[in-house]
Amino acid sequence: MATKEEILEELKEAVIEYEEDDCVEAAQKVLDNPDLLTPMDGVLDGLAAGMEKVGELFDSHEYFVPEVLMCADALYAGLDVLRPHITLSETGPRASVVLGSVQGDVHDIGKNLVKMMFDIAGWDVHDLGRDVPLEEFVEKQLATGSDVLAMSAMMTTTMLGMKKVIAMVKEKNPDCLIMLGGAPLTRDVANLFGADGYAESAGNAVSEGIKMIGNLRKFEKGEVE
Amino acid sequence: MTELTGKERVLKMFKKEAVDTMPCFSGQGTVTVQAIEKMGTQFAKIHNDAELMAGAALTSARMWNLDGLVVPFDMAAVAEAMGRGVSLYDGADGIIYPTVPNKWKELDEIDIPADFMSKGRMPVIDKAFAILKKEAPDLAIGAWVLGPFTQAGQIMELDVLLKGLKKKKDQIDAFLGQMTEITIDMCRHYEGLGVDFICVREMGSGTDLLSPRMWKTLIQPNLTRVFDAISIPSVNHICGSTDMIIEMMHECGADALSVDQKNNVVETREKIGNDALILGNFDPYGTLTTLEDSSEVANVIKKCIDDGVDSVWPGCDIWPDVRKENMKTYVQTVREYGVKPSPAVQRI
Repeated sequence: MATKEEILEELKEAVIEYEEDDCVEAAQKVLDNPDLLTPMDGVLDGLAAGMEKVGELFDSHEYFVPEVLMCADALYAGLDVLRPHITLSETGPRASVVLGSVQGDVHDIGKNLVKMMFDIAGWDVHDLGRDVPLEEFVEKQLATGSDVLAMSAMMTTTMLGMKKVIAMVKEKNPDCLIMLGGAPLTRDVANLFGADGYAESAGNAVSEGIKMIGNLRKFEKGEVE
Repeated sequence: MTELTGKERVLKMFKKEAVDTMPCFSGQGTVTVQAIEKMGTQFAKIHNDAELMAGAALTSARMWNLDGLVVPFDMAAVAEAMGRGVSLYDGADGIIYPTVPNKWKELDEIDIPADFMSKGRMPVIDKAFAILKKEAPDLAIGAWVLGPFTQAGQIMELDVLLKGLKKKKDQIDAFLGQMTEITIDMCRHYEGLGVDFICVREMGSGTDLLSPRMWKTLIQPNLTRVFDAISIPSVNHICGSTDMIIEMMHECGADALSVDQKNNVVETREKIGNDALILGNFDPYGTLTTLEDSSEVANVIKKCIDDGVDSVWPGCDIWPDVRKENMKTYVQTVREYGVKPSPAVQRI
């Protein structure tokens, strides 16, 4: 019979090797062994840990975007098995996020990787998709009262719309945290626009999305406040 | 000695013949809001009217004293002509470039109409070239096309395409071969219209997305075929990370390479030598739109020249909302600081 460590390793490997079927199989082993580990253990220490390794492989130029996308598919295959079995008490109070790529931007690879982080964390995710009219962000945030509004722009030419959304949301709902991400952003631009956070290093949405997963794991484990 | 016209200066540069000073032009869009305002129109309206398209390009070139111009300004025209639709954002505030709303989601769905060159806005672009040929005989008129891989990503979902590179390699190979034929047909079409140079923008293929190994097997052979088929001056442009693939880019056979600010031009020169034409490599938004001190613009341009480019090109389209002083400083610095020879082009 497999140990907890072996099951987690199987999940990690399945993500890293982008083997969707193996990931489903390993996720099922998590459910079959409730005395060894919880579904949330499988998500955080198996799937998310595997994705963190993928991020390292990406940063060292061993993996490129095609591989990362396939790893994400494997992760979701496992997540689909585990998520229905995660109870609210395991994840704490459920938070919610509204996210999307701003109008004029049809790129959504980075946005989808950030979405993956929120999915892993068990948040209520309201994904508006891409090429989202500015007013739609505002309407959805106000309608859902989401804790976070996350906007992505892959191109310089579309990030300017973010500033307008931030002003509109902050005016009506000053408590909403606003995160910006995407290749052209810098901390200065995020500050200038009035955002609460941004994906550091601006250079690569893929890398940043994965780094956020690493931070999430530390947070869930109480390693950071 | 008579001063060269912009067209002469650009064409001499491509032939690596001596010029009076460094040409100032681009193979990407150089339209600016000042020109659009002067014409009394809006950015959203210059994409589907030949007079406005040609007028915006020409007014910008004349306003800033550029040596050349290109049309169109957006990357959606071909996908639109293939039936994928276009979002022009004519109701939105500010500047938003047209995008493609309905990309094919699976390889099996792709059905490219044989007559796409006569569909959508393609005839508008042809007419704009005809106007420019007549109105701007002194300027270098450039056409640009997306490279086979980037165009593929404009007509089908990019994540499906990227995953297909690994999972469905044979099918993707065949599809990219088809896109290569289309790219060649378009280049020949624009050559037939009498343009002076063609810029092939394989902009989605840098190592931000693809590995050098993938680039060698999936991008390089197709780009080589494209440049083999072009008989006028040609530019191989890739934005993003290109340091790891620059030698392979050079092997593709274009007359010049264009790279953006992520490329280390000093190292590129060492890798491919002084005989190769290199164009680049400043960040257009970060330089022309956001810098508040135009002397900083001059420094950016001088660095490009000192690093070894043969013409200072923006790494992408110039974001139309440029600061007037920055744009003037960019052109003036190229003219004045570019009086000295560049690595591949001597001076008269």
